Amino acid sequence: MDRKQCCVKVSVQPSRGLVDEKFVVLVQNAFPGFQLTVHAHHQCEDGHGWEAFGHYTADATGTVNVSEDPSLGGTYSGAEPMGLLWSLRPVPGSKPGLRMRKKNVQTPMEITVSVYQGHQTEGFVDQVPLTGVVVERWYMAPGVQRIPITEDGLTATLFLPSGPGPFPGLLDLWGGGGQLVEYRAALLASHGIASLALDYLTPKITMETGKMVDNQYFETAYRVLQQHPKVLGSRIAMLGLCFGTSITLKMAVYSQVVKLRCVVCISGSHVQPVDGNLEQILSFFKKNADKSCFNEDNEVIWRDLLLPIPTDPSLKVDVGRLQCPLMLVVGEDDQNCPAYESAMDMKEMMERAGNSHLLTILSYPNAGHLIEPPHTPHARSSSLRTIGSRHMLMALWGGQTAEHSRAQEDSWKKMLAFLRENLYGGTDPGARLISHL
Amino acid sequence: MALIHVQVTYTMSTCGPPITDAGQTRWPPPFFSSEDAALLPGFPKQSFPPPKAILKTSSGSEREHFCCLTLLSLTCFAASLAMCFNVFTVNLTLTVCKHGFMFPLCLLVSSKVTTDHSVGGSYLGCEPMGLFWGLQPAPGEREGLRLRKKNVEAPYTVHISLLEGHVSPSEGQTTRLATVTTERWYMAPGVKRIEIRQDGVVGTLFLPPGPGPFPAILDLWGMGGGLVEYRSALFASRGYASLSLAYFGHKELPGPLNRINVGDSYFKSAFHLLQAHSQPSCLICINGPVGSTSKLSDPDGKTKQFKSEQTNWTFDDQGYVSFRKVSLPSNLFNGSLVKTENLTCPLMYIVGEDDQSASSKENADLIEETLRSVGKSHLFTRLSYPGAGHLIEPPYSPNSRASLWSVKPKKLVTLWGGHLAPHAAAQEDSWRKILEFLESNLRV
Repeated sequence: MDRKQCCVKVSVQPSRGLVDEKFVVLVQNAFPGFQLTVHAHHQCEDGHGWEAFGHYTADATGTVNVSEDPSLGGTYSGAEPMGLLWSLRPVPGSKPGLRMRKKNVQTPMEITVSVYQGHQTEGFVDQVPLTGVVVERWYMAPGVQRIPITEDGLTATLFLPSGPGPFPGLLDLWGGGGQLVEYRAALLASHGIASLALDYLTPKITMETGKMVDNQYFETAYRVLQQHPKVLGSRIAMLGLCFGTSITLKMAVYSQVVKLRCVVCISGSHVQPVDGNLEQILSFFKKNADKSCFNEDNEVIWRDLLLPIPTDPSLKVDVGRLQCPLMLVVGEDDQNCPAYESAMDMKEMMERAGNSHLLTILSYPNAGHLIEPPHTPHARSSSLRTIGSRHMLMALWGGQTAEHSRAQEDSWKKMLAFLRENLYGGTDPGARLISHL
Repeated sequence: MALIHVQVTYTMSTCGPPITDAGQTRWPPPFFSSEDAALLPGFPKQSFPPPKAILKTSSGSEREHFCCLTLLSLTCFAASLAMCFNVFTVNLTLTVCKHGFMFPLCLLVSSKVTTDHSVGGSYLGCEPMGLFWGLQPAPGEREGLRLRKKNVEAPYTVHISLLEGHVSPSEGQTTRLATVTTERWYMAPGVKRIEIRQDGVVGTLFLPPGPGPFPAILDLWGMGGGLVEYRSALFASRGYASLSLAYFGHKELPGPLNRINVGDSYFKSAFHLLQAHSQPSCLICINGPVGSTSKLSDPDGKTKQFKSEQTNWTFDDQGYVSFRKVSLPSNLFNGSLVKTENLTCPLMYIVGEDDQSASSKENADLIEETLRSVGKSHLFTRLSYPGAGHLIEPPYSPNSRASLWSVKPKKLVTLWGGHLAPHAAAQEDSWRKILEFLESNLRV
């Protein structure tokens, strides 16, 4: 009996893939009807261990196909092809508030997928698995180039797709945590879009002078992208998450320099002092800081800072003036930002102005704030140091893991189709293109 | 202006497929009769996709003609092969379907059907992996090249481009509409490469990731000599511990380079290193003779110099040499024939019917007959591939019908045989069958 079990093998196809690609995990040569645990382990860059596992029963041929067979328990349940990745959680004993984010996109995430006998829930590190393989997950496809950009006072990284070009371009903005976050831009370049990840809260110039950047900083970033020899200046999009949405909408509607083919806003709001620069927008938010709530776990909820949605037009970006397609991605359980309420208000504004045909809203029940590229773990809350303070808080982002992960997968697919349609497609903005992702 | 975007699914894949779907015949009609098709039974159906490269284009317009160009740049740092920066290309042309937008140029065997056929270029018909096995030396490259990976720790980088119109590389430069880069690896993540110089044994061991223990393979190449690692790396990527063993033509082995200076005891030491039993559980032979083509210098198996007997060499009208007749059973040296009647384990023998380098078919016949005469036919499995040559290797690498054999005393190009498409199909089919054979003999 033991001899047969030692012949169990597991394969993951593909063994090297992009982070947003699906894989198929197949266990073979087990005893028919035997109970097995399929386990994934990853050690992230800052040394923390993450694990996920599913409980399975081998079928009559001794096979478990994770893409088709239901997990009967573990960190995910049901038939979940990518559950081993999106349900990864810090190993027992880890410090609270962790969030997995890849800093170095030039190396892959390495994940060890192993099979254990029986339905195990703990103590994996003390046991020898029956078998195991290693899987690599990449943010950069082969041939994608990573180019640091420091000209004109910018702190940014440009990712160019492989090939002769020229390529459509995209400005990629993250939110209030600051830093230069590259992984989404790297992934977009792997899909044929020259993407510029921009640090606008903690760029070198702010760290050295203590001054926040002004609106011109974003227009400079746009110009640098537009004038790059491998970028098609007439086909540039902008993508923002959270605070990045605030900047993106401002640029899309009011800037004389920034001309966009389309815009994607994730988990953000149009509420801001319309004539304000970055610093003024931030103080507007700080002014309402007394509306912060704390839940019983002492996690801070910031969604009420911008509620109720004002009726005063000087406090909302006038999306009725938008002239390019806009996609809003909303998690209905967003505890950090009132993205749903803002989206509804934007819809109303655009209907009144007569440009609502440009609007697409993707709204996901039980998805939280951090709607990211798929197949990476969901953080319902995590520790955060707010800009300009030494204070560490536990921010509540929201979202229920399984539904949030489904939202990430669905929204990413639709975002890519939207970007391709508008950046690669013909001049007809309403042209439909079937996504094959 | 419509922009073209090209994507490859599985941008970084391991060469060679796992066991995949059944049902579709891989052999294009012009090359095979229904008799030959009987040699290729279907495979067990599995529901996961093989790691083939799937090429998709977006935003092509109706009735546009495209050309797909694959470019592989190689850098060989080994001094023994004077090959650097050779560029291989393949050329595929096809027509966009009438719906005008995204369609797959290649397809997943397990899913959707497509009617996209190559209508010209390096290969014809619907060939999912044709862009890889159809690679040929680019115009201007020297003759007699053979594509073999020396450094298995780094991948092949293949650039797949879409060119406008139906063009040939020899026509010179044409506009590249879009390019995608893909990597093809011999080593899966987690596979360990270990250099072995122990107990006189010269080899490289590849271990799969995971706790083990693993079934093991001793991997031997032919009279090209040296230490060839890529097939072992691939076996390790499929869960077998595999030792590539040098036994001829390697500077770290004793004696002159042009003779086999190691005998039975050397191979036994290698086996011992794998900590296997003293007898193998199964054997796989590809296009080889059942005895020695050189005179033995001692009963342990060492030979005299290989090249001195040239009587059975034949030359074609291009001056290429074929060694085929050297290994005809009647030409093999007396007393050197392996006593296959003493076989105790299953043997799989693979024949390329267009083998111009060895008399594979005749040797297979001899082994088959010998085993039949002692009632051991049940141990023998033969795979025979029409149109395939001598170099039946892991799939999706291009076949060399001939390549440079030696430069001294004069330049000699040797014939291996094999036509591109049937040879590619033979590699794909035989690899799958090899893995199945190993699986059923080593794991169960």
